[in-house]
Amino acid sequence: MVSPEKCASRRALLRGAGTTLAVGAFGVLAGCGSSSAGRASVKKVPLVVRQADVTIFNRSLYLERHAIAAYVAGIPLLNASEAKVAKQFLNQELEHAGELLGLIAAAGGKPIPRAPSYDLGHPRNAREVFALLHGLEGNQIATYLDAIPRLSPGPVRAAVASILANDAQHVSILRLELGDSPAPAAFVTGRE
Amino acid sequence: MPTQTTRRELLCRGVLAGGLGMAGATVLSPAEAAAATAAAPAPPSNVAVLGRLVRLELLILYAYQHVLASSLLSSSAQEVVATLRNQEQAHIHALSAALRVLGGTSPAGPANLAAADKDLSHRNVSQRLGQLRGGKDALRLLLAIEHVAEGAYYVAMSELSSPTLLRLGAEIMASEAQHATVLTVLLHPVDLTQAVPYGLVQGRR
Repeated sequence: MVSPEKCASRRALLRGAGTTLAVGAFGVLAGCGSSSAGRASVKKVPLVVRQADVTIFNRSLYLERHAIAAYVAGIPLLNASEAKVAKQFLNQELEHAGELLGLIAAAGGKPIPRAPSYDLGHPRNAREVFALLHGLEGNQIATYLDAIPRLSPGPVRAAVASILANDAQHVSILRLELGDSPAPAAFVTGRE
Repeated sequence: MPTQTTRRELLCRGVLAGGLGMAGATVLSPAEAAAATAAAPAPPSNVAVLGRLVRLELLILYAYQHVLASSLLSSSAQEVVATLRNQEQAHIHALSAALRVLGGTSPAGPANLAAADKDLSHRNVSQRLGQLRGGKDALRLLLAIEHVAEGAYYVAMSELSSPTLLRLGAEIMASEAQHATVLTVLLHPVDLTQAVPYGLVQGRR
C-alpha cells in the first residue's frame, strides 16, 4: 500500500526523527516546581541507559516506525479536519521514534534498520484508516506496558511511560473518530 | 477491565515478589550504578509512593464528585464526567489494595471543601472547587488536576520498584492521560488537536 513517493516522504520524516535526539529522555526528574500544563520540568542531566535495554528499545522503535508508516499512508484518505489531527499524531510518533533513538544512542547501542515496507493492509476509507491506526497504537501500548517493568533506571521507565501515555491519548481520539467511547477502561492495556 | 478480585489477586502475587525480580536478570555495571547513584537520590519506598498516589486520587475523586453534584455541567458532559469519576474510583481501589498488601494504610481523602481547595493550592492548581463559575470552569479544574495526576505517575514510574506496581502505575498514568484528552475535547469539541498537545506526557507538578 505504501507508494515509493510515500516511502521517500517517510524517509525524510524519519531522518528528522533521527536527528532530533530525545530531549525528554535526557532529563532527570526535578524534585519540585511547576511548569506549563501537561509538561513536567526536567533538569538536563545525562541519563544512564543500559545496553541490556537496547533490544527493548529497538522492538518499540520498530512499532513506532510501523505506526509512522500507517499515518503517512493513511492521511491522504482523511478529510481536512481528520488529516490535521492525524498529522499532529504523526509528528508525535516521530517524536517517540526520536526519543527511542536517543535512548539507544545513550546506551551505546545500534538502532535496527528501517524495514523496507510495513504490513498496513488495504484501508480504503477514513474508517478503515482509523481502525488500522487504533490497532497499531494499541499494540504499541501493550508493548510499552510489558517493557516498562523490565527497564532501568527509573528515569528511563518514566521516559517510556510518557510515550505510552501519549499513545493512549491517540487511542482516545481514534476511538472517538470510530464512534466508540474514548476512555473505555480505568486501566489502559492497549487491548480495549 | 479486570474484576477487582482478579486485580487484587494479581497484586498479592506480584507486589510481594516486587523488588526481587525488578528489571529482570540484568544489573547495572559498577560504573553504571555509580553514575546512576550520583545522578539521583535513593527513591522512596513503594508504600510511600502508593500512599502519595492514593492521597492524590482521593483528592481527584473529591473534585469529580463535587463537580458532578454542582449541576454546573450539561447533561452530556455530566455523563462523560461520571464515567471518568468511576474510573478514578477503580484506581483508588487498585492502589489501596496494593498498599494493604504491602502493609500500608490508605490515607484519608479531603475532609471538606476547604481542605480540598487547600490541597489543590498546594499542588499549584489555580482553580478552587468553592469558586467554580460554570461548566467550563469546572472542566478546566478537572483538567488541571488530571495534569497533576499525569505528573505524579510520571514521577512514580521512576520510584516504584515492583514490576506489578510499575505496570499498574503505567496503566493508570495512561488512563489519566486519556481523561485529560476527554476533558479537553469537552472544552474544545471543534479542534481535536488541542486534546493531545504534547508527544511526551509528563504532566505537571
